[in-house]
Amino acid sequence: MTVPLHDDQILFTREAIEAAALIGHVRGAEDGAVVTFDGCVRNHSHGRPTLYLDYEAYESMALVKMQEIAVEMHTKFPIHRVAMAHRLGRLQIGETSVFIAVSSPHRPAAFEACRFAIDTLKRTVPIWKKEYFEGGAVWADGELPPVPAEAPARKSAS
Amino acid sequence: MPVVSQTVRVKVLFFGRLKEIAGQGEDSAEIAAGATIEQLFTVFTSRRPELAKFRASLAASRNQEFAAWSTPLHTGDEVAFLPPVSGG
Repeated sequence: MTVPLHDDQILFTREAIEAAALIGHVRGAEDGAVVTFDGCVRNHSHGRPTLYLDYEAYESMALVKMQEIAVEMHTKFPIHRVAMAHRLGRLQIGETSVFIAVSSPHRPAAFEACRFAIDTLKRTVPIWKKEYFEGGAVWADGELPPVPAEAPARKSAS
Repeated sequence: MPVVSQTVRVKVLFFGRLKEIAGQGEDSAEIAAGATIEQLFTVFTSRRPELAKFRASLAASRNQEFAAWSTPLHTGDEVAFLPPVSGG
């Protein structure tokens, strides 16, 4: 059995996100800070009341992308652990859609890493939300992920 | 050179609004060996012309990695067409 380099916790769930469990996962004796981001469903969008949201993901790819974000967080910032959970399915106003917890011995790293995590997730992880309002629904405006412009050079035949 | 043109079968996934237009989230297509993701997309726009107008605002992936539209495809590849992402 190999010991993981970082004991991070990255997951999707269709139930309510258990924030306390995620915080508990990252908090260690050597940590002086745990910074969390709680992304929640807002009751309005573009000046219009929102009824609820439906989230869907390309789950297998999204999980890999979220794991890559965690790896990059460890590379960029002196942090201890990362927990990142995203909920899928129907979410009501006020519910948590994404929760990120980052621990570190000193607080600046955890703050910066947590900000990096949510900003990168919103730009690169294949997740989509549909906003329902009185009389209709729209897919939320999103960001086009950074995609390679050219195909990689052809590998030599093996 | 083979006389008979070779084809490859790939799995195709649609998400978000594309899934609604395509009518299903998962499909497959038989394309010429070496065809690109761009050429695969035209297979579906010929079936569902409405898809074409989203081309400029789509990303594509091959085997769960973002990929250029010029990426050539091989048998068994999983290609997804991804609208702008809006997680969080």
